[in-house]
Amino acid sequence: MNKKDKKRNKPRRFRETLSVWLLLLPAVIVLYLMIWRPSVMGIVWSFFKMNGYTPTKFVGFQNYIRVVTNTEFWPVMFNTLKYVFWSFVVGFVPPVIIAFMLNEMMHARRTLRVIIYLPAILPGITILLLWYFIYAPDSTGMLNMLLAKLGMDPYIWLNDARFTILFIIIQMTWAGFPGTMFLYYTTIQGISSDLYEAATIDGAGPIRRFWNVALPQISGLLLLNVVRQMIGVFQVMQEPMVLTGGGPNGASNSVGYQLYQYGFVQGRVGQALALGTIVFVILIIATLFYFKLNKKVEDNL
Amino acid sequence: MKRFSEKQPTLLNQADLKTFKGKLMYWIMFAILICVCITTFFPAVWMVLTAFKTPQEMYSSAKLLPSDFSISSAIEQIKTAWNTLKLGQSMINTLVVSLGNVLVNIFICGLAGFVLSKKKVTGTKLIFVLVIWTMMMPGIIRTVPAYMSYLSFPFVVDDKLNTATNINILDTYLPIWLGSAANSFNIVLFKNSFDQISDSIIEAAALDGCNNFKTFLKIMLPMALPVVAFVSIGALSVAWADYFTPYIVLKDAAKMTTPARIFMLKGEKNVTINVYMMGLIFASVPSLIIFCMFQRYIIGGISIGGVKG
Repeated sequence: MNKKDKKRNKPRRFRETLSVWLLLLPAVIVLYLMIWRPSVMGIVWSFFKMNGYTPTKFVGFQNYIRVVTNTEFWPVMFNTLKYVFWSFVVGFVPPVIIAFMLNEMMHARRTLRVIIYLPAILPGITILLLWYFIYAPDSTGMLNMLLAKLGMDPYIWLNDARFTILFIIIQMTWAGFPGTMFLYYTTIQGISSDLYEAATIDGAGPIRRFWNVALPQISGLLLLNVVRQMIGVFQVMQEPMVLTGGGPNGASNSVGYQLYQYGFVQGRVGQALALGTIVFVILIIATLFYFKLNKKVEDNL
Repeated sequence: MKRFSEKQPTLLNQADLKTFKGKLMYWIMFAILICVCITTFFPAVWMVLTAFKTPQEMYSSAKLLPSDFSISSAIEQIKTAWNTLKLGQSMINTLVVSLGNVLVNIFICGLAGFVLSKKKVTGTKLIFVLVIWTMMMPGIIRTVPAYMSYLSFPFVVDDKLNTATNINILDTYLPIWLGSAANSFNIVLFKNSFDQISDSIIEAAALDGCNNFKTFLKIMLPMALPVVAFVSIGALSVAWADYFTPYIVLKDAAKMTTPARIFMLKGEKNVTINVYMMGLIFASVPSLIIFCMFQRYIIGGISIGGVKG
C-alpha cells in the first residue's frame, strides 16, 4: 500500500472507528452509570456531609469517625468475619466432594443431577423465605416439625444468638452449593482418563488417585473459589435482611446489612457511604490478591 | 442394571469395583448422594405440602401431609391463595422486566462483546481491561451511590444539589434494566464465544454489504446461540429471583415485581402460612418453567462459564 492510498483511506477508517464505537457506546454508558461512577462517587461523597441523598459540604473524615466510633462497628465486623469463617467450615468442602461422587455414579446419574440442582432453579427470594419458615421457632417450622416427630421439644433456631450465623450459613450453603458443585463437576469431567490409568498402573488405590491425581487437577479452581467465596460472603446482606433482620439483638448483623440500615432505613447516608468505602478497600485488597492468584493459576495450566 | 465393567476409569475403576471394598465404596457414595438429594428436595416438598394444608392444621398438628388431599380442595386452596395475594399484576410486571432484561443484555452486552472480539479499533483494548476489572469490583459500595444517581440522573442535569430540576428515574424499571445490562461477565462471555467464530465470515458479510450492526444481528447472534440462550436465561431468571433492587427502587405497589411483592407480604397479618407457601410456589413456577424449557442450555452454559474459571 503506498502513501496516497493510506491518505485516501484515512477518512474512511475514521468513519469505521466511529461506527464501531457507536456499537460499544451503550455498554460503556451503562457500565459508567451503574458501576464506574457509583464506585468512584461513593468514595468521593463519603467525605461529604449529606442532606438526605444530596451531598452538601466537604467534612473530611467525619463520616468515617462516626462509623468507626459507633459501638456497633466492631461487633458487626466481627460478625461478618464469623459469616466468612462458617461459610468455609460448612460450605467449602461439600460441593467438591459431591462433584467427585456424582462423577463416579453409573446409576441414576441424570436423576441425581437434576434433584441436586433444584436449589439453583428455585428463585433466590423463594429460598430465603422458605428457609425463614423452615427455621420458624414455633411448631409450624419444618425443623421443629421433624423434631416433634422424633419426640423432642421445639428449638428456637435463628433466635439462638450463639448459632444464628451458622444457621444462616447453612441456608446459604443449601442455596449456593449446586452452582459451585457444577463448576467443579464440569472440570472433573474434563480430567483425562489416561491420568487415572497411569496412576493405577503405578499401584495407586482410589484414595491415592483422589489425592494425587484428581485433586491437583482442580487445585486452581479450588484456590480461586476460596477468594471468590470470601469476597462474596463478606458482602452478605439479603440473608440477614430476610431471615433475621440482623437479630437477635444484632447477633447476625453483617456489614452489608448495617450499610443497608444506614443508607435506606436510618437515613444516615453519609455513614453508609463511609462504611461502603471501608468494605470496598478491604475487598479490593482481596480482589487484587485474587487477580494475582488467577494469573498464577492460568500460567500453570 | 448397568454393569460395572462398562465404567470409565475415574477414581474407582473396573478392577476396584470387582472387589468388595470397591463395591462398598461405590454404594456408600451412592447412599450419600441420595441423602444430598433428600436434603435438597425435602424442603421443596414440605413447601408444597404445607401450601395445601388448612390454617388450623398448620398450628394444631405436626403431621406432614395435609388431611384433605383431594383435587377439589387443592384447587380451592390455590384459588383462595391467588385471591388473597393478588399476584397477577406483579406477575405481568415481572414478565415485562424480565423481557426487558433479555433485550438489554443481548443488545448492550452482545454488541460490546462483538466489538471487543471482532472490531478492535483504537481504545477498545482499554475498555476491555476496564470490563475485566469491573467483573471483580465488590458491589457493596455501589448500593447507596447508585440509588443517589437514580434520584438525580446524571448526564441530564448537572447533579449539583438542585433536586427539583433533576430527572428522577425511581419508580420506573430503568434502574433494573440498566443494572441488568451493566454485566461485565456477560460481555466477556459474549466476547469469548464470538472469538471462536472465524474472521473470514465477517469479511464475507462486509463484502456483501452488511454493516456492523447487521453483521452482529444476522451472523454473530445466530452463530453464538448457546451463549445467547445462556445469557437470556440468566437475565430472565434474575427478574424472578431478585427482590432487593425492585424493593428499593419501586415505590408504587402497582409496579412491583413478584419477588419484591412476596417479600413485602411477609409481615402482613391476613396472610396465613399456608397461603404464603402457595405464594412462594406461584413465585417459583416461572423459574421452573424457564428451567424445564432450557435445561440443555443451562447445563451447557455452566461449562461455558467454567472455562475461564
